Amino acid sequence: MNMASFPKVSIDFASSHLVFPMLVSVLLGLLLVAILVTRWRTIWGAFTTGPYWPAGIDHRRFFGTIVLTVLYFLAMPQIGDFFPNEGYGFLIASIPFLFLISLLYLHQRTRRQIVIAAINAVLAPTVVWYLLSTAFSLTLP
Amino acid sequence: MIVKMGQEGPLSWEGKMTRLITKLGFATGLAFVTAASSLAQELPKNLRVVIGSTSTGGDTYQAASFVADAMSKHFNINAKVDAVGPTEAFKAIARDRRGTTIMIHHDQSYLGHLYGVKGYEDIFATYKIGPTLTINPGNAYLVPKKSPYKSVVEVIDAAANGTRVRVAIQPGGVSEIGFSALKNAAKIKKPGSEENIVPVNTGSQSDKDQLLFDGQVDVINGSVQSNEQYTRLPENDQKAMRFIWLTAAQETLEQVNEKGLGETSRESLMQYATPKASVTLDGEKDFTFDKDFFILYNKDIDPAIVAAIDAGLKEIYAKGAIDKTMKDAFFVPHFLPSMEATAYLEKKRGDYNKVIEAIRQ
Amino acid sequence: MDFLPQITPLFLTLILCGTVIGIIFGAIPGMTATMAVAVCLPLTYSLGLENGLALLLSLYVGGISGGLVPAILLNIPGTPASIATTFDGYPMTQRGEGESALKIGIYASLFGGLFSLAVLYLFAPALADFAIQFSYVEKFLIIFLALTVMAALSSSMLIGIFSGVLGILVSLIGAYDVSDGGNGEYRLMFDFMEPYLSSGFSLLPVLIGVFGLSSILIEAAAGVPESTSAAKVALGQGKKFRLSIFRGEWINLFRSASIGTFVGLLPGVGGSAASIMSYSQAKTFSKNPKTFGRGNPAGVIASEASNNGLTGGALIPLLSLGIPGDATTAILIGAFTLQGLQVGPLFIGGNPEIWKSMIVAMLIANVCMFAVMYFAIRHIARIVMVPKYILLPVILMMCVVGAYTTNYGIMFDVWTLLIFGLFGYLAHLIRLEIAPFIIGFILGPSAEIYFVKSLESFGTFTIFFTKSWIAMVLWILIAISIGLSIWMSTSAARHRDET
Repeated sequence: MNMASFPKVSIDFASSHLVFPMLVSVLLGLLLVAILVTRWRTIWGAFTTGPYWPAGIDHRRFFGTIVLTVLYFLAMPQIGDFFPNEGYGFLIASIPFLFLISLLYLHQRTRRQIVIAAINAVLAPTVVWYLLSTAFSLTLP
Repeated sequence: MIVKMGQEGPLSWEGKMTRLITKLGFATGLAFVTAASSLAQELPKNLRVVIGSTSTGGDTYQAASFVADAMSKHFNINAKVDAVGPTEAFKAIARDRRGTTIMIHHDQSYLGHLYGVKGYEDIFATYKIGPTLTINPGNAYLVPKKSPYKSVVEVIDAAANGTRVRVAIQPGGVSEIGFSALKNAAKIKKPGSEENIVPVNTGSQSDKDQLLFDGQVDVINGSVQSNEQYTRLPENDQKAMRFIWLTAAQETLEQVNEKGLGETSRESLMQYATPKASVTLDGEKDFTFDKDFFILYNKDIDPAIVAAIDAGLKEIYAKGAIDKTMKDAFFVPHFLPSMEATAYLEKKRGDYNKVIEAIRQ
Repeated sequence: MDFLPQITPLFLTLILCGTVIGIIFGAIPGMTATMAVAVCLPLTYSLGLENGLALLLSLYVGGISGGLVPAILLNIPGTPASIATTFDGYPMTQRGEGESALKIGIYASLFGGLFSLAVLYLFAPALADFAIQFSYVEKFLIIFLALTVMAALSSSMLIGIFSGVLGILVSLIGAYDVSDGGNGEYRLMFDFMEPYLSSGFSLLPVLIGVFGLSSILIEAAAGVPESTSAAKVALGQGKKFRLSIFRGEWINLFRSASIGTFVGLLPGVGGSAASIMSYSQAKTFSKNPKTFGRGNPAGVIASEASNNGLTGGALIPLLSLGIPGDATTAILIGAFTLQGLQVGPLFIGGNPEIWKSMIVAMLIANVCMFAVMYFAIRHIARIVMVPKYILLPVILMMCVVGAYTTNYGIMFDVWTLLIFGLFGYLAHLIRLEIAPFIIGFILGPSAEIYFVKSLESFGTFTIFFTKSWIAMVLWILIAISIGLSIWMSTSAARHRDET
């Protein structure tokens, strides 16, 4: 972008992909500076006095969710690869995932609640898989 | 007037409902029967057809649907079209050697590479080229109805005489190749005058139309399908346009159904194509561009699958039903088995490469 | 009344089915109206044009309307166009007025739908001619106007704008899209990202990531407290719905429905801009703008009236120019081409029967949507009583399905969901504002194209002021919107100092 004679401007098509990102980056930088200038006290305060993350959160449930989700995402295409274009990867991976997440979130694991969680874990993915993959013929992993 | 070209049989409404319900898949029993009686051992039962377009309203989706439907019936499989776009489609077939995923795309797949667009590789080296399927003969160039240019020849003449002509295109592919041909023709007519044909790079058809309405360009790339109605508007309408050039070859247009499209007959469409509207390729032959749709496979796909699809499509095209469907939708059936298709497309690529190289500074 | 013969039992059944399926798609986070129309498109071939269109149009109406359910009850927009519904809808649910908020939303939706339908029927060709007066310049200004809402949305103006600009920057990652007129070059990423990010992050996974997954992570971090008994109480508490809520909101209704219809008819501006803009206009012209974002029914009204206003609006350029007004109508084109019918400037005049049957289908679909949702609400609202150990995993699974299917089966979209889920959680920790971020993300790419193309074609910055009277009107609206944000933030600051 050539802005030598503002407000006239000429944009070279070959480099036009950089015009807007550059503008937005500069704006973002200015805003960041403005925030630092007006709020440095608050920000500094947050840095110097604890408690630091991840203190004060439920470690087991938070990191459990993330770990299970990552495993779920990794497993889906792998399993699906054995049955190309059937959507079984989604179905087979979702059932244990749903069950484990439910168990993770339960506070009192009574037999009744575990049974409900298990039924839900089997039923919900099956219904979704059947409706989307078969009835609407959407591609699932 | 209702123009209906769907295969509407005299079904009772109960019949239609049954069909709908069957389609919705509530008749699971049927699915089991189909699965059990599957005849085609070579082909996967579930075939995913990815296309190089993200639109389900465009010509790629339409062309792929014709073929996927016909293959589903013929092979008794479940072929499903997914509009994932070029990058993802190439990735999908690159991953799948088993042939459970195939891709349908058009000339963009190699033109993108010729024009150096990011994300396009040499398809002849990276993938296995499958059969060609059909041609969309609609690639067109238009001017406002009030434009001084009455024909494409006048546009080239104007450029030769030093007038700047602005053409709205989508850069890097099918939309640009006709533009490159115009530049090439101007260069042949008067070297250096190709500089007078300048591109205005834009995106969708609506953006190109809008530029024409705004008077920001003199010529736009469009299509018979999306612009035909604009050519029938009265001249005093800001939106009125006129065809000046169809890039399709004469043999291709001759196969278009006689009614043409909308109210423009095949006869009148042919006025805007070679030989009547001539854009020269090399001073002797005219440049033509047919938008061919074809299949792309993984490089290492089992040759048995390629052969099975070739043979199956040959039978499908021989039966003729697909011809009618395609012609009704303003497509021209064009089946070449994989080997011939590869040679044909490589030649096409070579020709267009020459055009692009000729005008490269 | 020559269209009456078309109202067959099949026609009506299809509309009912379409509306219900559409509402379900709209109500599931991650599934959208666009998807509902796309999956049912192949069905239309065997149905014939009138019946096929009836099905698709009712899916469209249902899908857009269904988006308000998760937006209000779960704070997750069911479709991008219902983002602004979360701003006031969810606070109402937290106050125990979920059912009331849903009803307000449904009434507003019905109004918006019918209003835009009337506009479509009466003024389609004239408005299409008006729409083509909007070149790159005016479209950029419209997007800019929608972007100004970022400043007014958040408690701190500076943080709000920062979040919004960050959203714009993130939306630009990947190629400068050739199909929008860009040059296809990559920016804002490293080489190793190319295989995944060549077309950037997709909107829907980002949206359900920052709204859906991140709220699950926030819940998980808080230990997933079960409070169904509290929810049960909350459901019965709060103000009951009365039609009198709409008293004094007529102007809001009309303005929002008009904005929805109008933005709908501008190709390439996008539906989400409509509800965001109506929301900010409702706030701008409200007597007490400070109650917005804290459960003001007017916010729900503005958002829902305008996003249903889209339905009629987006059909205007489709039917009178052959150009789709949004992503969903782009798929509708497929239904026409499948039947061998071209849409363009001569369509309405040349096919009066199809045109009328479409209008009738939309009318019935709107009424159907209202009836179905109104009677289902009591049950839908109970979703807040489902224990979290069941509800959250199911939402998570649906988010995954939505992300995967949004581009017809791309695994990276599922990872995008996780990336932006984590981002959303992080943003919550460091007090970034999610709503402006996502608005920036949605509008970023169109802002870029229209801004750069304006300069490319006209070669001067002054063109944004001198192009046309439309541009001047837009500048006035922009000035009002910005002025109000500044006034509100300074008066809020003064208020803080006093207490």
